[in-house]
Amino acid sequence: MTMNDIDRAVRAVLRDALGLPEAQVAAFDADTPLFGALPELDSMAVAGVLTELEDRLGITIDDDDVDGDMLETFGALARFAADKVAA
Amino acid sequence: MLRFGPDHGPHVIAALPLFEEANRTRAAMIDILRRLAARGIGAALPDLPGAGESLIPTEQATLADWRAAFAAAAGALTGPVHAMTWRGGALIDGEAALAGRWRLSPLTGAAQYRELERLRQIGGGADHAGNRLSPALLDELDAAEPLASGALRVARLGGDPQDAAVRLPGRPLWRASEPDVDPLLQEAVADDVAAWIASCAG
Repeated sequence: MTMNDIDRAVRAVLRDALGLPEAQVAAFDADTPLFGALPELDSMAVAGVLTELEDRLGITIDDDDVDGDMLETFGALARFAADKVAA
Repeated sequence: MLRFGPDHGPHVIAALPLFEEANRTRAAMIDILRRLAARGIGAALPDLPGAGESLIPTEQATLADWRAAFAAAAGALTGPVHAMTWRGGALIDGEAALAGRWRLSPLTGAAQYRELERLRQIGGGADHAGNRLSPALLDELDAAEPLASGALRVARLGGDPQDAAVRLPGRPLWRASEPDVDPLLQEAVADDVAAWIASCAG
């Protein structure tokens, strides 16, 4: 799985789990703020995002892994996902 | 029990996803039942004890109760009766006498349990997204699996890498934080269910 695949998967998860328009997620860059900035991303939605990431990337996300940092920006979330895939 | 379409002939009996996901997907499911009715297939959505309009509190509900209620509801319909379940709804159709079971994105009870625990963890620990679930229900859930025998058809959405007989277009509506509908998905579900029922009969 390439970084490109992971990037696309993370965008697709955010689009599908949060019900965001395709155009909005296509415009996300590394600095785009997520948690705290997107009203759709409340704590219940976070659970859905994490589970979809696990299912689509074949990774396991422990409760300890989850903090504000990994959800702060699109770049942080993509990096987190890539690290998990590589592990 | 909500019913659409003819009283006689083949029927589809539906089960929503469990817990909070039911609220998010009810409108979409009802739209699909209407579409099936328009195709001449009777469609039903039974109420489960401890859910929706039920007078029993959710914390007293058990999976066994839900399975029994679903089986009783299916028994009241003229046949052949096929189940159409989404997500954890697949865990409650095992006791019903059915001609077949069509499932969208089914998951095991253990996977459902893990998702509930994740929700509880993220939400601060007091309950499961506003639902107080009994330890008995959680134990049942952890051990439950969708029935693996009989005529089965599994559908999944485009982004889902797990095996499926058919992949349908659309979004996982059970993930949305508000109730939502996706006409593209709903039409695709109705088409596939109707075609499968016809092929089962043939």
